[in-house]
Amino acid sequence: MKDIIKRIINKLDLPDVTFADVRFTRTDQQMIYFEKGILRSFDSELDASALGIRVLIDGCWGFAGTKILTDNEIDKTIKKAIYNARSGASFRREPAAYRRQEPVTKSYVFQPEEDPFAMDNKYKIDYHQKIASQLVGNDKIVYSYVYTEFYRQYKIYANTEGSFVDSLVYDTMPMMYVLAAEGNEALCRTWPGHMNGYRGGFEIVHREKLPENTETIIKEAIDLLSAPRIEEERADIIIGGGHLALQLHESVGHATEADRIFGKEISYAGKTFIKPVMLGNFRYGSDLVNIYSDSTDQGGLGFHLVDDEGTPGQKVDIVKNGILVGQQTSQENAPLLGLSPSSNMMASFADDIPLIRMTNFCLAPGNGSLNDLIRNTEHGYYIDFTKTWSIDDNRFNFQFTTEIGWKIENGEISGIVREPTYYGITPEFWGACDAICGEENWKFHGTFHCGKGEPGQAMHLSHGVAPARFKNVVVNVKA
Amino acid sequence: MNFQDELVKICSDYADLKFQFHYRYWETDFLRFYQSQINYNISKSSISLSTTLYKGKKSYSFTIYNPDLHKLQEKIEEARLIVDQLPEDPDFIDLEDDEQRSSEREKSNNIIKVNLEHKLEILNQIAKALEPYDFRIFGTFICNFKTLYIINSNGINKREISSPIFLEVKAVSQKNEVTVLEAYGGENFNTFNLDRFTKNITAKVKAAQSEVIDVEPGEYDVVLAPRCIGEFWNYLESSLTARSLDSRQSFFEGKLNQKVFPDQITLIDDPEHPDLINFDYNGDGHLYQKTFLIENGVFKNFLVDNYYGRKLKMEKNGAEGAALVMSTGNKTWEELVGSVKRGLYISSLHYMNFINRKETSITGLTRDGTFLIEDGRLTKVVNNLRFTEKIADIINGIAEIENQAYTVPYSSNYGEFGISSVKMPHVLVQGFQISSSTRTV
Repeated sequence: MKDIIKRIINKLDLPDVTFADVRFTRTDQQMIYFEKGILRSFDSELDASALGIRVLIDGCWGFAGTKILTDNEIDKTIKKAIYNARSGASFRREPAAYRRQEPVTKSYVFQPEEDPFAMDNKYKIDYHQKIASQLVGNDKIVYSYVYTEFYRQYKIYANTEGSFVDSLVYDTMPMMYVLAAEGNEALCRTWPGHMNGYRGGFEIVHREKLPENTETIIKEAIDLLSAPRIEEERADIIIGGGHLALQLHESVGHATEADRIFGKEISYAGKTFIKPVMLGNFRYGSDLVNIYSDSTDQGGLGFHLVDDEGTPGQKVDIVKNGILVGQQTSQENAPLLGLSPSSNMMASFADDIPLIRMTNFCLAPGNGSLNDLIRNTEHGYYIDFTKTWSIDDNRFNFQFTTEIGWKIENGEISGIVREPTYYGITPEFWGACDAICGEENWKFHGTFHCGKGEPGQAMHLSHGVAPARFKNVVVNVKA
Repeated sequence: MNFQDELVKICSDYADLKFQFHYRYWETDFLRFYQSQINYNISKSSISLSTTLYKGKKSYSFTIYNPDLHKLQEKIEEARLIVDQLPEDPDFIDLEDDEQRSSEREKSNNIIKVNLEHKLEILNQIAKALEPYDFRIFGTFICNFKTLYIINSNGINKREISSPIFLEVKAVSQKNEVTVLEAYGGENFNTFNLDRFTKNITAKVKAAQSEVIDVEPGEYDVVLAPRCIGEFWNYLESSLTARSLDSRQSFFEGKLNQKVFPDQITLIDDPEHPDLINFDYNGDGHLYQKTFLIENGVFKNFLVDNYYGRKLKMEKNGAEGAALVMSTGNKTWEELVGSVKRGLYISSLHYMNFINRKETSITGLTRDGTFLIEDGRLTKVVNNLRFTEKIADIINGIAEIENQAYTVPYSSNYGEFGISSVKMPHVLVQGFQISSSTRTV
């Protein structure tokens, strides 16, 4: 394939082509899914190869992608990409900015401890069957599932400036769910929650300890049926890492994607309340809040040597001591903000066009343990395990519901509450952050399913967070 | 022998196995624009074969791209070894066996008919019409083409061709980012009237010139645009599937043939409706026909596929909820809005999500044009608002329905995505709960 890509790059070396890049991906995906104790599907999509060609002509990007990798189809794809750029240039007000970059030639291979694609299928099935069997049998548990998605992607990136990079990564995402019901009530619990994707192979499934947590989620789901809702209008909340990852994702991550500033996502994903003039002076959160994008951290799903337009991976501050200082950018958008590209242009597969995407988007740790934080909270709630998420077009007004909350009184957990639902305005909420736990509670939480773009792409990305406390939040929104 | 005939042959070649094949050619030409200029145009294509192989009650699925007979036979041999190692699904009874066929109409490829130059001409005209108001256009203009063969070992050998077109234009004020929306969806581009489209969006832009205000949370009488009530029905559709009944998450559990909504509510799934994007079959290959879901407020049918139909001993109907039509009422739009003393007109919704699926509680936001209604007139633009509601309560709160309905398209956008549409009227809902303001438009 490397030779084919080099040949395509040579064909794109045309006088009117300012820049072109070519990507190839070969992706393997496998999913094991048990529902109500029964294997409902064991599904593989192996060797799914795709090719994408992006060209910049007369300040207009043209893109074509295909999964049909015959010589004839590849030639057709080259021509379509060029046609799309040349024709599109007639409906362009300002040319897309472009700055030359130093070429990169590197390789990266991630080696999982237990390669799920080389393992015995029977072992994988039996492992999940055992968990699935543990989730059934209780009369009040009316529905359950357990699944794991395995993913492996080999990628080649090459461009007309001489970059040629290839990489191989493995990601794994395990999940289990129970639904308890009584009368018209139905309440659920999951493990390890919705931010459950990690870099690695089957060792991730072992690490997340699903068998050890089946009893806990069954008991909690049943207990939720008789648990109260939060009664107070406002309260202090400690948000656990799994859910805080999503809070960070929605209210800071997407809000600081520079393509939103310039309206490129209005038609679907939306805008952002951030304006260019806010850079360097806008108070996004309290002094404790330090947020960064780091595609150089090999522990997260967002690690890469170069992004999908050839910018080397890097760590970029987004919020420093509560002040907005950076953005996630691309070659085209960074100069418009007076910034350098932040290595955030990514596509899910080669036949998808790269977009500004989060990679490893993290909240820096503070000090102390979660136990200390709970002990230091006189009255409030510890909440975790996302149930509902929603945020407005400008990433300003959000509302989240978690599956469960634990009431804190005088520094101790005193009971559970069902479906805690809180709402907030982004900078006010982050401004109310008065404690962030330390390194010992900081870890990556990831997902395979961050949706953005048109045509839509589901991205693998991670958030490094530790639990944090937010003061005086509106906590009892009800339908 | 063509490849689909090879698939039919494979079904009979393996006496101990059964197969379900989805063999698909898919192509899109996807134009995205912003600030009244092109963002990018994307061309994508794929040929895929999704196979599920059954041995008794055991099954294993795999997908391959650019399939040929040799590659498929290799995969089948691998799958035979895998399937033997798997546990049985005692609930699996048999594959689809519905022999009914649609007319399987030929359809031309709209990617060729509505090419990039043609699209850009249309967008140029719309952009120019809105320039005097200082609004720019953002959105997507999509043409797809798909040929799908559904083949299985029970003799199903069916074909569905589709080539939907989707144009969604958001006009955004350069002054204050107030946004309005107009969309077209269909398979026959002769039904697209550019002058009417431009006139409609221009009228919305004019309405969006007024002062922008905020409103307090609370209960409001609201007029929901067809897109909004369509979206609420689309969300409620997850409660209409036999699968949701099996997973005990359906609002309609135990309510078959019971009155669930007011008399004036009738909802039909009509994949042959002349104003909608049409479908021939569901994913199993069952004929997809007109099905009453709610009739005069009475819940009439779940959407029942092969697996859950057999498991739950319900009659399969092939309905998928991809072509919802809500019956009209007897009020004009002017009468609906005119009857509201102080309320809201909501054009579009954003980022809805269930809080509790079974009780139909959701949260979400308004978008692309929220207006204050005062004394029966749209008077001001309102910041986007958050609602926290139960869909069942919204439908029960419908007081009046418009006397005409509109086609609203939705593009699913992911993977080898499809485009569908609904036909909905405006509705007046009383007591709609606004839970907070976003303070932005």
